[in-house]
Order: sequence, then structure tokens, then C-alpha cells
Amino acid sequence: MTTLTASAPPRAQKAARLTLGLLLLAMMLAAIAALSLAVGARPIPLETVWRALTAYDATATEHRIIWDLRLPRTVIGLLVGAALGLAGAVLQGATRNPLADPSILGIHAGASLAVVLGVAFFGMTQLSSYVWLAFLGAGGAMLVVYSVASLGREGATPVKLALAGAALSAVMFSVINGILLTSQRTLDEIRFWQVGSLAGRSMDILFQVTPFLIVGAVLALAVARLLDGLSMGDDVARALGQRIGISRALSGLAAVILAGASTAAAGPIAFVGLTVPHVARSITGPGYRWILPYSMLLAPILLLGADVLGRVISPPGEVQVGIVTALIGAPFFIALVRRKKLAAL
Amino acid sequence: MRHAAALAVTLLATTTLAATAQEWTYTGGDGQTVTLDAAPVRIIASQDAAAGLIPLGIRPVGIYADSAVADAKALEGLDLSGIEIVGQVWSEVDIEKAAALEPDLIIGEWWDRNEAWSGGQDLTALLTQLAPITGVAASDSIVGMIADYETLAESLGADLSDPAIAADKADFEAARDAFTAAVAAKPDLTALAVYAGDDALYVADPKGAAELLDLQSWGLNLISPDGVDATGNNYFETLSWENADKYPADLILVDNRSASTLETALAQPTWTLNPGAAAEQIADWPAYWVRNSAAFAGALEKLTAAVEAADPSVAP
Repeated sequence: MTTLTASAPPRAQKAARLTLGLLLLAMMLAAIAALSLAVGARPIPLETVWRALTAYDATATEHRIIWDLRLPRTVIGLLVGAALGLAGAVLQGATRNPLADPSILGIHAGASLAVVLGVAFFGMTQLSSYVWLAFLGAGGAMLVVYSVASLGREGATPVKLALAGAALSAVMFSVINGILLTSQRTLDEIRFWQVGSLAGRSMDILFQVTPFLIVGAVLALAVARLLDGLSMGDDVARALGQRIGISRALSGLAAVILAGASTAAAGPIAFVGLTVPHVARSITGPGYRWILPYSMLLAPILLLGADVLGRVISPPGEVQVGIVTALIGAPFFIALVRRKKLAAL
Repeated sequence: MRHAAALAVTLLATTTLAATAQEWTYTGGDGQTVTLDAAPVRIIASQDAAAGLIPLGIRPVGIYADSAVADAKALEGLDLSGIEIVGQVWSEVDIEKAAALEPDLIIGEWWDRNEAWSGGQDLTALLTQLAPITGVAASDSIVGMIADYETLAESLGADLSDPAIAADKADFEAARDAFTAAVAAKPDLTALAVYAGDDALYVADPKGAAELLDLQSWGLNLISPDGVDATGNNYFETLSWENADKYPADLILVDNRSASTLETALAQPTWTLNPGAAAEQIADWPAYWVRNSAAFAGALEKLTAAVEAADPSVAP
């Protein structure tokens, strides 16, 4: 609100306060990650967890569960969560739409469509092949949405982007539903993927998507300044000397890489990308240089927390994280909206 | 005139006679009785019912399968020439193709725990628009189900004295005796029947699978899970992969309806937590699809070999 006119001392104070906040969040995230290693469908004493991490013994069942299941799952949760948070924040900034998240620009729909087509018509059934399909689909969908929104004289405005995204998502979801309704086999194959889950993902999948997640995160953090300009409206951004077409293209690219890779790894997980940037904004105020790192830490806290919850609420089985985030994300979002008016974008 | 009247009377008499003489009645696995004017000739059968009936000489005009026919274990080794395939996905039928076959009767199987015929309630609602549905129940014994299929086939006009049927039966009995002997030789051997998914390991409740109950009755020490899931998949207990060794066993029987199930299991890092899996003492579980003597004999021979090769002391 006052970033442009704030005088130096309060600004420095604010920066110090927000840096402290980031440190606190980082500590919380570390705690949640530790919890994710310690808590699961199988009760393992903390002492054993510690010993598994410090003195691994391949013959001990509990040690193998920590290393082979909980560790990959925790790392994937951290990366996917960070990516979803960043992608949501970048998209909300670039499109100036408070409801933007990876689903609004057709990224989830594109990824899902590609996976459904691959399963239905090319018989792909392995999770590792879904990764590339989801990635292709996300990128393809974003490209189409952007091209459609760019038609016309004024180019890809936020409103046109959101409209094109919503319309194309609707089209893609009808195709997806059409295929799923007529092919029980495809539905059976992808039902598990479509909900969104961190379970059953091996290290291979992690290695496949990690490079993309890193590139996407670096790019997203690099465009923070551009997002601040875009969030003040195209005219102001232009007046500040920004080339808004390039700004928006770079932000879009960052969002596609992040959302595509995270969807590829964990399936389309709802609500995290939507909710987290709002929480971040309510702490930091409107500057994207703070919103982005806050989102990047808050989102994995939410995602891993939801995953840990899902592991313990229905023993000896588990509830998938996509279901838990939807269950806790929706009321949380309503509460947030009711508590105060969403910070204007 | 007199001729015509006489002819009419004769015609009338024969049709009435025929109707009373050949009326066909069958009480299905759901407890409902189906009555037709004559024994049905044009039958559309589920893949399992077809697997039960074809070896007994009853050939349906159409079959609806749960998967691509090439992958349908139940139909393996059966002569399907001249039979129209009207469905190749679970719960799906090309209804126009099915209607064009003008069926007199649909034969499925009654699944008590699901309270549904093969393919589920939606499919049943669709098919019963063409003809009444009936069939045997997926009961507590494959041997019992084969006997039920014999009763059904006989009522449909099958000749059960065909030597091929007796030969199949003799093969089955020999395989059963060999299995019983192999199991008796290893009284400490324990077995567990599972389905493996990316998300979880599913442990079968033997009481829900007729072939498992048969194996138990012939002496196989099959572990029962503590409980089955209350909703949905109520033939299994769902285990997080973290709990893959909740029921340690010497021999792991893996659902072989799809070859990818074993691949999925082998890809899971905690699959080998179970001592039987670690010792690679893994065999095919012919899950829910054995419906005739020849198929059961084949499955039993493989199981017997697995039991004979297994070390009965890998699980505590």
C-alpha cells in the first residue's frame, strides 16, 4: 500500500520484521518435515527414527520405511508444496486475479488431459510416464491460453487471460470427462493420480522433476520485481518503464514450469496454490519480493501438514493428500475471506 | 373351411403344449426366480459365466468382458469363435450390439457383498431392458460354483456326459490331490493373498474369494486380515505401504488378473518387508476368475509347484 512513499526507517524495520518471520517459517517447515519423517501409518518410535537417520541399518524394517518411503515423500512434499505456493503467487500477481491458481490458466486441466489421453489411447500406466505427459499438457495448455488471450489489439490482459483459461479449462475438462465416462479402464488407472498424492512416488520421479522445480523457483523469485509492477496495473507498470508483455511472459513461464512439474510429481492438488498466497499477503502486505518467499515456505507447511494428517486418520490405510488439502483448504479459505477483505491486488 | 378350423385348433394345441412342456425356470444366485416360456437359446453371458458354461457345451451368442478379451484371464484358452464380444471394459456394454443379438437371457454372477450382478448395478439396469438376468452366485467354493454351472448348463440343454467334461474333471481332481499333498507336507507354511496398487497394498479376505476358500479347505494356511474396509472395497483390507509386513507370510499370492499388479508390487521399496516377498516366494493368485475344471487344474498345478519350492520357515 505504501511501498512507494514509505520512508527509509520504517521500511528497514519492516524488512527486519519480515526477515525474522521468514526465519520462523523456515523453522516451522523444518519441524513439519521432521514430523513427516516421524509420523506415518506405521507407528515408529522417535528414537528409532533418529537412529534410522543417523545410523542407517539396511536390515532394520523401520529404517527402510523411513528411508524408502517417508524421506522421498517428505522431499517431494517440500518441493511440490514450494512450487505450488510460488506458482499460485506468481499467477495471482501476473493476472491480477485473487482467485488465480494453477487451475485458472488451464494448467491443471492441460496436465490432466494429457495424462488421460496417454492412458486412454496409448496405454501408458506407469507413474513415471505421467510425469512427461503432465508436463507437456501443462505447457501446451498455457501456450494455447496465452495465444488465445493475446488475440486483439490490447494483447494478453489479465482479464482476457483468466477468461481464456477458464474457457479452455472447461473445454478440456469436458473432453476428460467424456473419456472417463466412456472408459472405465482409464478411470481406474488415473483415479489415484487425479486426486493428488505424495505416496508411492519413487526417487526416480523426484529426479525427473527436480531440475524443473529449481529452474521454475529461480525464475519465479527473479520476476518478483516485475510482479510488483504488474500488480499496479498495466498503465502504471508501463509508466515505470516495464515491458509488460515480457514481464507477463516470464511470469507465465515460471508458473507453468512450477505448476507443471508439481502436477507431474503429485497430481493436480487443489487449494494450496490458491490459499497460500493470500495468507502470505496478509502477513507481508502487497510486495511480491516478500509474498513469494513467504508462499514458498507456507505452502509446503500446509501440504506436508495435510499429508501427515492423511497418514494417521484412517489406519492401517491412508487418506490421499489431495483430499485432505481440499477438506481443510476450503473452510480455511472461506474463513480467510470472511476475516477481512482480501488484500486488493 | 373345416380344414382351416382343424388346422387352427391343431396349431393352438401344439403351441400351448409346447409352452407348458418347455417352460424354463431357474432360481438365480440373488434368490429371484426367472421363468421363460422356453429354455433360452440366445444367451449373453458375462466373461465369468461364459467361462463356466462354454466348457460344459453351452455357447452364448455374446459375451461382455471386464477387460480386453486378450487380457481376460477367465476367457483364457476358451474357443470364442462365432461369439460376439459386446463389452471389453468392466461395467460397459455396447448396448446396440447386445440388442442386435436379440438375447433371451442374460447370465451374470451374483456378488453378495456388492449386492450386484457382474459389472455392477448400472450395467444390470441396462441389460435387463433386453432380457431377464440370472446366474449362479459367486459362492464360497469354486468347486461348488462349477457344480452350480453344471446344474444351470443342464437346464439349458447341455449334455454333461461328454467325455471332454469328465476328462477336465479328472485333471482337476489330480491337481487338487497334488496340491493337498504338497500343502500337507509343509504344515508350517503360511500364505497371504494380495493386490498391489501404487497407493496401497490390499490384503484379500479369503472369505470373499471362492478359490481362496477352496485352497483353505484343502489345507493351505491362508492368513485372514483383521478386518475389511467398511466401504467400497469390502473384499480387502487396505494397508499403507508402510505396513506391508503387517501379515508376514511364507508365500505371497499376487492377484494375477493383470500382469501389471506384480510389477507394481515389485517396484515398491517396502514390498520386500514381507518375508515371503523378500525370499521371492511369490505365486499367482487366480483372483475371482476360475470358473471351470480345466482352468482350476492349471492354476492349482502352478500353486502346487510354488508350495513345493517354498521354504516354510521364512515368516515367523
